[in-house]
Amino acid sequence: MDILWTGVFALLLVGYFALEGSGIGVGMLLPALGRTQPDRDRVVAAMAPFVLANEVWLVAVAGVLFGAFPSIEGEVLSGLYPLVVTLLVSWILRDAGLWFRRRLDGHAWRAGWDWMICLGSYGLALSWGMALVAMAGGLSGPPIGLPGLGGGLVVAAAFAFHGWTFLSWRLPGQVTGASRTGGALLASAGVAALPVAVLLAVLAPWLLEHIAPSATLNVLSVMILPFAPLMLGAQVWVWRTFDPRRAADRIPSFF
Amino acid sequence: MDVLDLARTQFAVTGSLHFLFVVLTLGLAPLVAIMHTRHAMTGRPAHERMTRFWGQIYVINYALGIVTGLVMEFQFGMSWSGLSHYAGDVFGAPLAIETLGAFFLESTFLGLWIFGWHRLPRWLHLACIWLVTLTAYVSAFWIMVANSFLQNPAGAVERGGHLVLTDFGALVTNPMLTMALPHVLGAGLWTGGFVVMGASAYHLFRRTADREFFTGSLRLGVVAAFVGSLVTVGFGYAQFGPVSLFQPDKFNGTPLAGLGLGFMILIGQLLQALIMFVLLPTVYWLPRWRWAHPILMLITPLPFLAAILGWLAREVGRQPWLVHGRLTVADAMSPGLTKGMITLSFVGFVGVLGLLAVVDYLLIARTVRRGPAAVTLGADGPADSTERAHALSL
Repeated sequence: MDILWTGVFALLLVGYFALEGSGIGVGMLLPALGRTQPDRDRVVAAMAPFVLANEVWLVAVAGVLFGAFPSIEGEVLSGLYPLVVTLLVSWILRDAGLWFRRRLDGHAWRAGWDWMICLGSYGLALSWGMALVAMAGGLSGPPIGLPGLGGGLVVAAAFAFHGWTFLSWRLPGQVTGASRTGGALLASAGVAALPVAVLLAVLAPWLLEHIAPSATLNVLSVMILPFAPLMLGAQVWVWRTFDPRRAADRIPSFF
Repeated sequence: MDVLDLARTQFAVTGSLHFLFVVLTLGLAPLVAIMHTRHAMTGRPAHERMTRFWGQIYVINYALGIVTGLVMEFQFGMSWSGLSHYAGDVFGAPLAIETLGAFFLESTFLGLWIFGWHRLPRWLHLACIWLVTLTAYVSAFWIMVANSFLQNPAGAVERGGHLVLTDFGALVTNPMLTMALPHVLGAGLWTGGFVVMGASAYHLFRRTADREFFTGSLRLGVVAAFVGSLVTVGFGYAQFGPVSLFQPDKFNGTPLAGLGLGFMILIGQLLQALIMFVLLPTVYWLPRWRWAHPILMLITPLPFLAAILGWLAREVGRQPWLVHGRLTVADAMSPGLTKGMITLSFVGFVGVLGLLAVVDYLLIARTVRRGPAAVTLGADGPADSTERAHALSL
């Protein structure tokens, strides 16, 4: 049971980086790839159907952290306090940009929220990189520093590459000028998830040591595992429904 | 204010903001699902327009529900790590189940519903909004399980300085939960009904083009509010039994808890009487009574106010305990939390979320004002002409 829930936690965190890494990367590249407003609209419309299904992986990570690793949860979140604040504020601004940008007609309104999406995406990538470095250092040093910034840049570069590959897959030959297959997208997802996967492999013994007692884990298993096929099925359904080979010309985008 | 006061105020403000949006989500979701069902069964354009118009209001509201909820979830570990140390083995379980077994599915299916217009098969698209509604209710159940545990730590015993889960059945049948959950769900339906009623009254009062649309909507809103008010008030009074058993001094300890309870009951009673004896019996004629429409608009915010007052009574009345009788709020605060840290996050969370909440309500008001013709949710193809030209040239 201990190994199962450590595995679930790792899967969710790696899944978040592999999936939402593309959304964050697209947000970072938004001003560069979308020089005109219609171009930016197409870039956002390309990622929009996946955002809700992707970002929810991190909500699940936080839930499992609390449920299965309660003694770590407080230590990590209060240990990384300033980074968690920047991560959450960045996430909030990015999401607000996506939800709000089309709700008014004005040009300045939409362009302003597009900048907010870009800013929030950079904030997310850099906060994550710094958080991973701080975690690797055992939360001993200050959470913000030069090595952390290096980690932030590495994660940002990986996300940007993943986002670029995603756009080349979703809108082949259009905003990026390149075409990528699903296989290439899978590979870039691996690149985006690599830093966190390495860290998790290093931290696995520490996680196993601090896992909740079996009474708690049994309850989680009974209540969650029956729904796992539905959760994965819904995720697969999203990717099948919005696959570019299926009528990419009709995207009633809301974001 | 010292660190503890700031951390408490931050949690109270973000929690109240979260609930303002959640209460409307809980109420509008079933109404939109019912509208979508009528659309799927009859195929009539009028029902599609209703689904899309009220659906857009639902999803704009949902945006703030998500972002305020994120902050709530992470705040436990940031400011209140003592809670996860002492009671995490019990309190963490319902939260983990909520995120995985409810919110994960809700968010995934909501994305499919929003972007699945003209793309998903009719019945599968309909299934999405019903799954969103169902998982929203399941979500409310688990969050209330967690909250009720703080009110009355059932199903757990203290061993070695912290709580361990011994009886999961007792955790999910907590007497502080069973009457409070329907109370909250009823309040959601009431709030959703009032928003639909108030927005419809606005259009009927202004004599806009969509008379038939808003006549039907206003009636639906009144009926939903009636059902919601019955459930809310009934299960509201039913809570006095368990509360007097587990927290006898809940509403006497601090003036704020008593005031919150008193004014909530006052608002609830007056509105329920108005709905039951005036609005529901006259629901057939109400859309035509123009003089009544400003009154309907004016009372629309009251269920929101009552909902916040109710939460204040429930949460302030628990003080100074975080887990009632076991762990105080002061003892649960993260050990290393400094005034600088909490000030930073206070400005970040309360400032940003407060501003976004105002923007969100203005956008909802604008969506209402512009009416069903301007809705972008589920619009067939790109919204404006330049984009359409672009799309055609691809």
